[in-house]
Amino acid sequence: MLMGAPLMAVPALANDKLVELAKDPANWVMTGRDYNAQNYSTMTEINKETVKRLRPAWSFSTGVLHGHEGTPLVVGDKMFIHSPFPNTTFALDLKDPGRIIWQNKPKQNPTARTVACCDVVNRGLAYWPGDDERGALVFRTQLDGHIVAMDAETGETVWMMENADIKVGATLTIAPYVIKDMVIVGSSGAELGVRGYVTAYNVKSGEQVWRSFATGPDEDILLADDFNAPNPHYGQKNLGIETWEGDAWKIGGGTNWGWYAYDPDIDLFYYGSGNPAPWNETMRPGDNKWTMAIWGREATSGKAKFAYQKTPHDEWDYAGVNVMMLSEQEDKEGKMRKLLTHPDRNGIVYTLDRTNGDLISADKMDDTVNWVKEVQLDTGLPVRDPEFGTRMDHKARDICPSAMGYHNQGHDSYDPDRKLFMMGINHICMDWEPFQLPYRAGQFFVGATLDMYPGPKGDRQNALGLGQIKAYNAITGEMAWEKMERFAVWGGTMATAGGLTFYGTLDGFIKARDSDTGDLLWKFKLPSGVIGHPMTYEHEGRQYVAIYYGVGGWPGVGLVFDLADPTAGLGSVGAFKRLKEFTQMGGGVMVFSIDGEGPYSDPNVGEYIPGSPT
Amino acid sequence: MKLISCAVTALLALAAPALAYDGTNCKAPGNCWEPKPGYPEKVEGSQYDPQHDPAELSKQGDALAAMDHRNAWRIWHMKTTGSFEYDVRKIEGYSETELPKVN
Repeated sequence: MLMGAPLMAVPALANDKLVELAKDPANWVMTGRDYNAQNYSTMTEINKETVKRLRPAWSFSTGVLHGHEGTPLVVGDKMFIHSPFPNTTFALDLKDPGRIIWQNKPKQNPTARTVACCDVVNRGLAYWPGDDERGALVFRTQLDGHIVAMDAETGETVWMMENADIKVGATLTIAPYVIKDMVIVGSSGAELGVRGYVTAYNVKSGEQVWRSFATGPDEDILLADDFNAPNPHYGQKNLGIETWEGDAWKIGGGTNWGWYAYDPDIDLFYYGSGNPAPWNETMRPGDNKWTMAIWGREATSGKAKFAYQKTPHDEWDYAGVNVMMLSEQEDKEGKMRKLLTHPDRNGIVYTLDRTNGDLISADKMDDTVNWVKEVQLDTGLPVRDPEFGTRMDHKARDICPSAMGYHNQGHDSYDPDRKLFMMGINHICMDWEPFQLPYRAGQFFVGATLDMYPGPKGDRQNALGLGQIKAYNAITGEMAWEKMERFAVWGGTMATAGGLTFYGTLDGFIKARDSDTGDLLWKFKLPSGVIGHPMTYEHEGRQYVAIYYGVGGWPGVGLVFDLADPTAGLGSVGAFKRLKEFTQMGGGVMVFSIDGEGPYSDPNVGEYIPGSPT
Repeated sequence: MKLISCAVTALLALAAPALAYDGTNCKAPGNCWEPKPGYPEKVEGSQYDPQHDPAELSKQGDALAAMDHRNAWRIWHMKTTGSFEYDVRKIEGYSETELPKVN
């Protein structure tokens, strides 16, 4: 139903109970809901007419503060909830959510906190449905670098492997991602000079299946023999070395801590590699490939079929890890295409043919983007405006977007009926001055001082007007509607067939807008600001909308760590100095339904019965 | 009017070399970086030389190899005993230098 008519006559290669499970609106089995990563639901019980009756049905506190990113998973009668450090996992019973079925609380070295660049967040869990041999598993990454498999029924740890070493500044905040019988794990730490890599593990044993790096020799990057053959001008062999001076690629960043998408018909998964290290561009001449690239990799082998570098030689920390949303649409010539749409930190929304990497469109998400004049679709090259580049012994001013990007980690949505991408956008610009610094493994390796503030359409005097939400058509490049927000729309969006677009805000609301007009139809004041994306599921015939609250992440570091210097928090403290007037820390899930109906509409549900263990 | 536009053109022409790197002049496909005016083609030996210590640059690779090694023992232990043990020091026969023997 969401996939549309398949373009290729090849039978689905994926195993793939996850695809089947995702077709049932009762489940939300992965980040982005299904492999298309559209955050879209076909449910219509909650719609433009009924949304004003949306009320909380129940809630759950995770017992920890700090940023709550991502979204819970729902499979059958269970909701799986994750938390920031120490990354405790909970399973709740949807028939009686007052009861915690299991919790798995890891012991982690608290030192892990000191090498997290941008709060101790985590973006979510993954689910593997099980087979004849072994029951279902839930996967978790931990800040201290571990990937853990837990039994979905009992919560017991099945295996736990080391993926990243905090001693060299490598951590994990990304959500794991299950494809076939593998769990894919990304990496974090470019602010500490960590060379990025992505790893696949066997879901049952934890054995490494493959690992690929973002920089260095081609055999490390795992290039397919025909890598970029359809678009040789993107670059092909040996560029992981040639676009760096000397051994700088060994500490070259390119971590991936964003999101994945997967096309089972062609067995390719998609993600973006992050920024090069350090932020000081003068210390690393070259295009710095393959940082800042959109990847199409064969899931089974890990080999890259294509890569397109969005930001050659980054000068602004436009870490290219953002969400990948898949769709099937007619291009301008009327040809049906399998597409991938990706709103990048650098202020450009890229749409590629996901079968071969062809560049279809590259539009500014706001006309105030100034580092680039345009992206040439034929060469794929961004035409830089030298006035807004950065360099040593120079303080660049009024660069848009800022290092926080016009779009960050938020997982957005795509409405296939309206052919619109609902994008949570930032409106932040910056001044930037780099400085020289040495590399010491385990220490920060940034080398730039930043001041950030609202973009031209915001209120610089009062430090407000830092966000936007827009509905975008990837083929025409037009915005169906756009609205300003007080703060950056950091957490992403979710669209439904009810004609609604849901999202949370840093100042503590969940909002529902009309997907056709952008009109605000409903909102609710949550206990704290939101940096995760909404989700929806059906249970016992009723549609629920759930969202995490708990402000934090990069925009929250000033509030979370009580910082006052505007250049602290890698420059975010100044930009978000007003945030504390609207919210404080929190941590939990809030679940909504029409009239707040839910498991406790009958108050006797969950009551104590003498002699019963529950 | 013509005079003014000539002056503007002259100014731009003067300014252009100082702001040249626009990312569209490629040495080879996928390799389009150029030094900015006044900045070196190579930083080694220049005032911007990062002077990286090779010992520091190798630490990440060493850390990955050590983690992969410990993981190999954990997997071997689970395969041979059927139970998972994270702490490699508790795995019988564990060696920091040698991989487990696979039958």
